Amino acid sequence: MPAIRDIPLSLKTGEVLRRQGFRGHSKIRPEIKNLILELLATVENTHLLEPAVAYEYYQVTGMSSGQVSLEGDKAIHGSLLPTIFPEAKELAALVCTIGPKLEKQVTDYSKSGETLRGMILDGIGSAAVDMLAPEACRLIASRATSHGHQTSSPVSPGWPGLPLTEQWNLFELVNTQEIGVSLTASGIMVPRKSVSMVIGIGPQMATWTRAEVCTRCSLRKTCPYRIQA
Amino acid sequence: MAKDLVSTLADLKEQEALKIVEGRLSAGEEPLKILEDARKAMELVGKRFASSEYFMPDLVYSGEILKAVTDMVKPRMSKEAEIKRVGKVVFGTVAGDIHDIGKDIVVFMLDVNGFEVYDLGVDVPAQKFVEKIKESGAPIVGLSGFLALAFDSMKQTIEAIQAAGLRDNVKVMIGGGQISEEIRKYTGADAYGLDAMAGVSLAKKWAGAG
Repeated sequence: MPAIRDIPLSLKTGEVLRRQGFRGHSKIRPEIKNLILELLATVENTHLLEPAVAYEYYQVTGMSSGQVSLEGDKAIHGSLLPTIFPEAKELAALVCTIGPKLEKQVTDYSKSGETLRGMILDGIGSAAVDMLAPEACRLIASRATSHGHQTSSPVSPGWPGLPLTEQWNLFELVNTQEIGVSLTASGIMVPRKSVSMVIGIGPQMATWTRAEVCTRCSLRKTCPYRIQA
Repeated sequence: MAKDLVSTLADLKEQEALKIVEGRLSAGEEPLKILEDARKAMELVGKRFASSEYFMPDLVYSGEILKAVTDMVKPRMSKEAEIKRVGKVVFGTVAGDIHDIGKDIVVFMLDVNGFEVYDLGVDVPAQKFVEKIKESGAPIVGLSGFLALAFDSMKQTIEAIQAAGLRDNVKVMIGGGQISEEIRKYTGADAYGLDAMAGVSLAKKWAGAG
């Protein structure tokens, strides 16, 4: 089962600010901006990010309204995948993480009363995962293109029609031990700054932007991290 | 002078604010008056956050300045005039959820706003909330949870508080990434907050300090 590491992530202040709930009409105080820049430098100098992606491809052997059947008697349940990529020939399952180091540093900051540092570093971690996921998708897309196929945009357990309980199923499909990601009893990924995804592969696949995903979410009016088109 | 501290702190000018506090303490001013100005400044910060002039890091930054001001003032206070805590709050991330940063921010903001907070950490079993409410006598409970899977846990925690005969003694607020009025009704909480400031406002209201 493939896993890749050493994926360069070039974090930008704008993405970090979005992850702090910045909406564009607030002023960015120099102290806050300087702290973001300082922490970005710390992240780089102390190698707090350890991006890694584990993934696996499966041939689609069947599709019904409630599940996608995969080679090796495996399946992903829920109505979402058959609805959004009914013509998928293959499916890629992926888990991406930035590793545990950044989270530990966030906890250390919080414990020592440096709440603002902890909060901003946590936002940097979220921005890093946001950046890692598309990198992983590009990897899958590159292979698909070489086979004359397209890739869908990614979907994750927890989306309407792809129950969160499928997280366990997805972890059966990918060797997540390889990148040090595990699930708690309640299905939360550890390290928390991780993301799991499924991508459809076939002759014609539907795609959507992150802003479009936000417009369909039930939290579209209140989510501080929503992306506006 | 008083106006200076209020506006300087509300404008988040940390060094200037601390210099003003130092000057007022050196001049022998009553420490409680300084803290009262700091409280007024925090009210302004809250308004600026509500109007989106400030965003979350500004809010937390204001809390850190307030903490520094309090640390300077505290040693100068007589025992009789010790800073009175506004109220007690039991706070934690519910069982099954391990997200801590949102919880940590609310705990910090409650603390700097004068609450005595019992932070139970993350993945907290319902019974642990019940025990701490009994032990502390806290009339306010905060349940944090980031993912949808926390909703059932919040509901079970509130049911456990009810089963222990404590529900009428406490007000329960819930908060986290996905919270809405629907979720509040589902869990049986008294109120929900979308951000740290909302949590502080609710606690102040319930403690009669709002």
